Amino acid sequence: MENSYKLTDELNLLDPTTARLYHDEFDDLVLEIAGRDPERGILVVRCFPISAGDRFIALCTRKEKELGIVEDLAALDPDSRNALADALARAYFRPQITAVYAITEEHHIPRWQVDTDRGPRTFEIRSSRRDIRVLSQGRVLIRDADGNQYEIPNYRRLDVDSRALVEDQV
Amino acid sequence: MSEANTDTDPILPLATDLPAEALALLPPEETIRLSITTDIKLDGLYGPAWLLATDQRLLAFSPDGGGPPDIVNLALAEIESLEIQDLYGSGALKARTQTTGQTIALFSKTLNAKFAPLPEALEKLIRQAQPIDDDKKILRGRLDRAYLKRRCEHCGQVIPRRMGVCPSCLESSKLLNRFLAYSLPYWPLAVTSLAILLIGTFIGLTPPLLLRTLIDNVLSPAATGASNAISLPLLGPTSASGALAYLVLGLLLINVSRNILGAVRSYLLARLGEQITFDMRRQVYRHLHRLSLNFYNDRDTGRIMASVTHDVGRLQDFLSDGLQETIRNILTILIICSLLFYLNAGLAVYVLLPTPLIVLVTIHFGKRLHRIYTPLWRRWAGISALLADVIPGVRVVKAFAQEHREVEKFESRSEDLLQGELRAARTRSLFSPLMSFLTSLGTLIIWWVGGNKVLGQSMSLGEFVAFTGYMWQFYGPVESLCRLNHRFQRAATSAERVFEVLDSQPDVDDAPDAKQLPSINGRVEFRNVSFAYEPGTPVIENLSFTVEPGEMIGLAGHSGAGKSTLINLICRFYEIDEGSILVDGHDIREVQLRSLRDQVGVVLQEPFLFNGSVADNIAYGKPEATLNEIIAAAMAANAHDFICGLPDGYDSIVGERAVRLSGGERQRLSIARAILRDPRVLILDEATASMDTETEAQIQEALARLVKGRTTFAIAHRLSTLRNADRLFIIEKGRLEEMGTHNELVALDGIYARLVHMQTEMSRIRAL
Ligand SMILES: Nc1ncnc2c1ncn2[C@@H]1O[C@H](COP(=O)(O)OP(=O)(O)O)[C@@H](O)[C@H]1O
Ligand SMILES: [Mg+2]
Repeated sequence: MENSYKLTDELNLLDPTTARLYHDEFDDLVLEIAGRDPERGILVVRCFPISAGDRFIALCTRKEKELGIVEDLAALDPDSRNALADALARAYFRPQITAVYAITEEHHIPRWQVDTDRGPRTFEIRSSRRDIRVLSQGRVLIRDADGNQYEIPNYRRLDVDSRALVEDQV
Repeated sequence: MSEANTDTDPILPLATDLPAEALALLPPEETIRLSITTDIKLDGLYGPAWLLATDQRLLAFSPDGGGPPDIVNLALAEIESLEIQDLYGSGALKARTQTTGQTIALFSKTLNAKFAPLPEALEKLIRQAQPIDDDKKILRGRLDRAYLKRRCEHCGQVIPRRMGVCPSCLESSKLLNRFLAYSLPYWPLAVTSLAILLIGTFIGLTPPLLLRTLIDNVLSPAATGASNAISLPLLGPTSASGALAYLVLGLLLINVSRNILGAVRSYLLARLGEQITFDMRRQVYRHLHRLSLNFYNDRDTGRIMASVTHDVGRLQDFLSDGLQETIRNILTILIICSLLFYLNAGLAVYVLLPTPLIVLVTIHFGKRLHRIYTPLWRRWAGISALLADVIPGVRVVKAFAQEHREVEKFESRSEDLLQGELRAARTRSLFSPLMSFLTSLGTLIIWWVGGNKVLGQSMSLGEFVAFTGYMWQFYGPVESLCRLNHRFQRAATSAERVFEVLDSQPDVDDAPDAKQLPSINGRVEFRNVSFAYEPGTPVIENLSFTVEPGEMIGLAGHSGAGKSTLINLICRFYEIDEGSILVDGHDIREVQLRSLRDQVGVVLQEPFLFNGSVADNIAYGKPEATLNEIIAAAMAANAHDFICGLPDGYDSIVGERAVRLSGGERQRLSIARAILRDPRVLILDEATASMDTETEAQIQEALARLVKGRTTFAIAHRLSTLRNADRLFIIEKGRLEEMGTHNELVALDGIYARLVHMQTEMSRIRAL
């Protein structure tokens, strides 16, 4: 007999054709699934915040009960997609570093002065080994001493000076 | 309308950089009660934005690059709720009215500490501005406070991960002074070794002078046939061979005494260093045991271990090696300089010319090497971490047949390391030739300038040779001093970490007038006890109960409810924030810790066995126990039978890498350990949670005997474990929600009844 159990049945995926997302007058995200009451105040959680930010987005109620998973942001209708992308951008604030001006060190605490897509910023890192994560293709994720996150999409593409500064740290 | 509300002072410190445009939006009669500057604007870009509140309104003012600023202007009277959101990469504050909701502030996590008190301050204003009944909740959400500890409370400086104290509040110079203070008790030893060091250095520098005498006073006259002109300083005219013999003898004496002094010196200094580090290590370890659990919770085990071994060792190295070398180098440089000037001041100036160059090059290369080596060390650490990760997990690797992938992973890291090492090797191999070229410049100068002087008869041949000799001894110490900074830094870092331990004060300590706790009956009373590990997140809230001597209390509740915390408080592992805990009427803060813990026995979920024999482990809390007592305790804990089955019986070695005991066996040993001390209060924290039914039954049976006549607190998830309890306490979110016997609680039909019901269902499922 053929195996009737499929592992992927465990997934609680939302049907992108019937699920609709929008922000209500309270600026809360609302999930509407055809034939069901709308859920207000949806929290969005990326299952893979680092490796696949636009796929597998869990939608939860305020009490953190999962309503379902959006498999791919792109599969949603344009309005819902924008609403979800908006909510994600707000929940996952992670500026991209576009240039590194200086990295100075005092008491073994590196202080980075950078420019990001959200404007210039200075931050300190507690431990270069643990708080800087180098991923494939030169992607670098940084968590500063206060828990803020930054990303360098590909440090090898930065200008020469920035690149040299980053290379010393990674 | 609010004439009663006369206080118009700001609630929190006001922002000082409010822009005029924002102030212009406020009606003149309103005063600012609250204002705060944030670092993320409402459009999501970095930059200052402001949030203000008066008694009437809440105003968010957020400049927007090109266009007009984003402004939110809400009447406090309309605000229904405020929500603080702890997002993945930032925080947000959202306000709602009956009809709308808006984000009023965005802030990075750097400002968490600053924003934490804000919602409550705003709530106060909102409640003043509108009639709301006190029960209605306005605030929602909470910020993660874990990050607050990462900055120094005094200066705001980031505290490095490997340290618990702020480095800028611990000055390096003070560190070194403190550190040298350890040598005070050994001052005769220190002074003697310093004196020997001085004399030895002096003597070590005499051979070139001797050589000068040999050439100028003996060899040259003899070679030019003027043997009758031979005379030695101090001795006067002698024969050529006699003079030669004297000089050879002199050199011999110098060499012998230099080496003897060297041997004595290095022994004395090593002894000094060993003594000091012995003291220090002892002090650090003693202090570690005085510290409370909080200290250990906040730090890696490896880090704490390193401060006793690695850091103290590094300090010793600095003391016995670094310090003496530094003194010797400085001395050597000073002596050689004065000798060179004494021999021939004109030439000395020329010879010292390359010195600044050498200093510069050494410092430059030192920095460069440091920059190359830091990532290299990181890579080394990465490789060690990989090994530490994979080797213990080798069973999993094999089970999933992933050996080749692990090998590849290792090789790619190894390859990175190789590249780094090669880069370092290139720099290093450039360094030595460059240095030896620079040093040879000095010789070139001597040959040219000095040679000319000898030719011009303004300098003797002996002086020329002595000069060359000193040259070669001069640059080594110079180079070594240039690298001193690095060495010094490393010692300072180690000193920092050692003093971090020594400077930490135990949170829980005996009061100065603490009494001995007399032999107790076992009555335990909680009076309005509140406790929080982290300020602001209470784990135990206003807990009151009394347990009579000999009673057995079963503690149940969801995981994370605070059960373990409660028993930690009975042992006084942590200090409570409010209320009091009394044992037989004595406040546990007023008795000596030792006398309290001596009478409390604890069995934890994960029994810890020390390296040693079974008997040692059972007798851990009572080393003077007789063999009778040990066996009796093992029998009481139902452990005797399996111990007798071990190859060496009670003498079998257990602990890491020794006889492997199963979880239930370890548990029974730890019960025997607790029982051997015959404690009046017995605490069992999920002692049987991970055991099979039969083992549990054995332990249950043992426990049933043990709890007689003792006050017992037993925590268990499996409620059947608690069936012998006189009373059950149901803990929920740090509160005592239900209390009573099994039957009473079932009749109450509350949390306990629900738990019982669920577990019966579960066991039915299992039984199927
Ligand atoms: N050392 C600690 N530092 C900070 N929080 C802790 C610590 N130990 C426990 N907690 C927290 O206290 C709460 C109660 O924990 P605990 O008493 O261990 O619960 P349980 O009832 O499962 O034994 C949990 O939320 C836990 O996260
Ligand atoms: Mg527990």
